[in-house]
Amino acid sequence: MHRYPRWPIHLTLLGVSFVMLVPFYWVLKTSVSGENIFAYPPSVIPKNPHLFYYVDVWYYIPFARYFLNSVIVSFLCVAANVVFNAMAGYALTRGFAGKSLVLMLFLSCMMVPFQATIIPAYLMTGRLGLLDSHLGLALPQMSTIVCIFVFKASFDAVPRSLIDAAKIDGLSEWRIVWRVMMPLAKAAIATNVILGFIWSWNNFLWPLIVTRSADMQTLPLGLARFLSYQEDTTGALYAFCIMVLAPGILLFLLAQKEFIRGLTSGATKG
Amino acid sequence: MSDEDPDGPLWRRLLLNRFVLVPGAIAAAILAWNIYVASHDNGIVEGLVVDPKGEPVAGASVALWVLNFTTYVEHAHTRTSADGRFRFDGNASHNIQLAAEKPGVGRSARVPVRLYFKAQDATLSEPLRLAGG
Repeated sequence: MHRYPRWPIHLTLLGVSFVMLVPFYWVLKTSVSGENIFAYPPSVIPKNPHLFYYVDVWYYIPFARYFLNSVIVSFLCVAANVVFNAMAGYALTRGFAGKSLVLMLFLSCMMVPFQATIIPAYLMTGRLGLLDSHLGLALPQMSTIVCIFVFKASFDAVPRSLIDAAKIDGLSEWRIVWRVMMPLAKAAIATNVILGFIWSWNNFLWPLIVTRSADMQTLPLGLARFLSYQEDTTGALYAFCIMVLAPGILLFLLAQKEFIRGLTSGATKG
Repeated sequence: MSDEDPDGPLWRRLLLNRFVLVPGAIAAAILAWNIYVASHDNGIVEGLVVDPKGEPVAGASVALWVLNFTTYVEHAHTRTSADGRFRFDGNASHNIQLAAEKPGVGRSARVPVRLYFKAQDATLSEPLRLAGG
């Protein structure tokens, strides 16, 4: 039995959900109706909805090519994030000389905005010969400090005795990470996958700088290019937004349980 | 069924979970769509031309415009048969307009026709109605 009635909090949550979902609904509604967003009075229900704006987007720009580029870059980022962040997170659970310094360095580096590191990142990518390539697009986001700490929090929750037992059984550190720790860190993996995917999928500034050919552009750049092509494309523009947003939303919905668990793991440890 | 049932066989746990089923369903839908597109992309556009009374008009000239980025350009012409029907072959666009004309009978308004993919086979649901002759 609940001590307090629960309807006030449900009512509040409903209100908050409504406020957060209305913009998404409005984008979706405009993408199938093409109604002017400044029309007054605004219509809540779309008039004569159709999917032809999505067809227009598909043919106005090389959407499939941009989509493929975004998928490749996001896949590289996600795979690298899971591998590198797990290795770094495991290292931070072990004791070594200068560990506090490394932790302080990581935390302080989180305060440096990406914009401040763009020039050295560009020069390094250029020296590696990776400009205008998928690997070059993914490179700066192949490991993120936030996600390293997600793995660290997850690995910290694994009993020390389990690692000791694995060592007694003769497992190397490398195999301990992949055979013992990773199966126990599914929530952290899901969090890394979702965050790595969304950050790389939505990234605009780095692809804008590092790409030179139109064939290497990603979806956010395609959106900017689309805006420069067309003037009166309210419906098509919103359809494009939906097509860019849909994979990220789908991935989040698929893994939201693990995502929330991954973000909150370690938060309630005593 | 729960995708986290620890007692189920391995293949079931690997295959019957939302991370496989949802992308699999999307892939199946894409495959089905592409099969449909491949079997309906002959570029055939058909329709009927009628006079103000609704009678079929033979020998009317029908023009097809296709969208050229921002404007429509005239792409093809044909004439209606004795029963007032017309047919275009080889339309490669997804955004077209049609209009009919016959001296002495009149001309129709230019009718936009939106297609779901390039060269989709289409039959006009409403006839092109000549007026003002």
